[in-house]
Amino acid sequence: MKRTPRRVLYHLGALLVVVLFVLPLYWMLMASLRQPGQPPPRTIEWLPNPAVWANYAAIFELAPLATALVNSVLVVLVAVPLTILTASGAGFAMARLNGRLQRGTVLLSIVLLMIPAVALWLPRLVLYRYLGLLDTLAALILPALMGSSPFFVLLFYWTFRRISPELFAAATLDGAGNLALWWRIGLPLARPTMLVVGVLSAMLYWGDFVSPLLYIRSESRYTLPVGVVVLRQMDITNWPLLMAAATLLSIPAVVLFLLVQHWFWFAGRFSESADATDVLG
Amino acid sequence: MKHLVLAPQRTLLLLLAPYLIGAVGLFVLPGVLTLALAFTAYDGLAPPTWRGLQNFADLSIDPIFPTAVQNTVLFVIIGVPLRLLVMLGLALLFERERRGVRLYRSAIYMPTIIPDVAYALIWVWIYNPLYGPLNLLLGAAGLPAPAWLVQEDTALLALVGMLLFQIGEGFVVLLVGLHNIPAAYYDIARVDGGNRWQLFRHITLPLLLPWLVLLAIRDMIVLAQQTFVIVYLTTGGGPYYATTTLPLLAYEQVFDGLRFGHGAAIMLLTFLALGAVLLVGFGLVRWLQRDSR
Repeated sequence: MKRTPRRVLYHLGALLVVVLFVLPLYWMLMASLRQPGQPPPRTIEWLPNPAVWANYAAIFELAPLATALVNSVLVVLVAVPLTILTASGAGFAMARLNGRLQRGTVLLSIVLLMIPAVALWLPRLVLYRYLGLLDTLAALILPALMGSSPFFVLLFYWTFRRISPELFAAATLDGAGNLALWWRIGLPLARPTMLVVGVLSAMLYWGDFVSPLLYIRSESRYTLPVGVVVLRQMDITNWPLLMAAATLLSIPAVVLFLLVQHWFWFAGRFSESADATDVLG
Repeated sequence: MKHLVLAPQRTLLLLLAPYLIGAVGLFVLPGVLTLALAFTAYDGLAPPTWRGLQNFADLSIDPIFPTAVQNTVLFVIIGVPLRLLVMLGLALLFERERRGVRLYRSAIYMPTIIPDVAYALIWVWIYNPLYGPLNLLLGAAGLPAPAWLVQEDTALLALVGMLLFQIGEGFVVLLVGLHNIPAAYYDIARVDGGNRWQLFRHITLPLLLPWLVLLAIRDMIVLAQQTFVIVYLTTGGGPYYATTTLPLLAYEQVFDGLRFGHGAAIMLLTFLALGAVLLVGFGLVRWLQRDSR
């Protein structure tokens, strides 16, 4: 039996790689449980003794993280459903449009993806000031009205394009209009893509630091990433508290990902017939 | 749904409208505005005044600008190939469905989902010269322990190092790419007596090449542009401008210096450079695909 030792060797190697990728998160968690104010460790500490869970309460007292947390949740709760709605609608329309319009919109989306984000910050600031959106949470949510990212629209476009045209043709004969085709046939078949776009957009809005940095002034409208940076400015060397804040910011993302990981890999399989030509449209 | 019966194309345009309006309002117009501001002097208060090419002339004698160009180019030239190598290696390692492999894949994706602010903080801690876990580990092993982010000659490399773990998206894309290679190709080659290296060299690599080029293009944009937050929060461009990249310089010009024109000129140049690279890249993909069919 030559196979068994090889298999063990494979899993040993794989585990080594996996440990390497999870180690930064593990270190974050462990550093967040150290007693604050203690002299920094001299040797590497794999488990802090004692584990100080109170650090997680202390960060809320030190910085305005509670409001920031509520604001962040609010932004995600509004932006994600909006994103799924607008991105899937646009993707569906692109998949159903005829030749020239379709190629035009796909090309437009790819060009939009190339525009450097930095180039958009300043004019958007001017635009939001003009619209009276500065210093409101609406400024953070606004991109959700257009699908949040051309990438999400393209994901839906690729998904809908794979649905067999006969299915739509049959429903059209039954008198269904395009809106009904999108809502009743397209979306139910695109559930894995909805899930992936939902998760990706949730993480986009949850982790967004640049938009609040540019468009938000009042402390009462800070989101969690800004709150964490404020905490850092208050006490830049208090590593236990900073790592507790970083953990607080990371945990929802990690949990969300773990919840949907099965679907995540499934969506990879879903796009089975994809090749690089698809990406180019 | 009687009341919703519209001409078919018109309903489609209705579905498309929010996206198109947003695309124009939030992408195209702002992009054009930045383009225009690159030729003006503007401080955000008084109306912009025309300066022609003066902003570009100013940049050419600004000592920090060439440093920022050099840092950005170095960042991309070192970062992109290394990141692609990690993506490819891991995709090959975790390609086949077997027990536990989904768990492994999820673990690889983990650093990618951490929000930028948290990710930057984690690594400032890990790279801490005195009591960060990395240097404690290196010290225990008797290895040299540099000051990483606060040392001029290691700061940029340290930034590249921490970004080697955030490769989840490319990793997934390559898994899909590998998955799409028909198993029959390998079977035939094995019958002909090809060994593993030959299979990789003559089947996997050529078929994966278009994907790799696409990922390389995307990664250039990511490293040249979207790493702003991570650089801003870890080194802030220091020490002594050792990690000042173009987006960071543009941000400082606009939001710290209120020189909107200068910032816009930097963005315009970055955009043109990236655009040129992208055109070459897309051309390459098309050519590779024609070749493989």
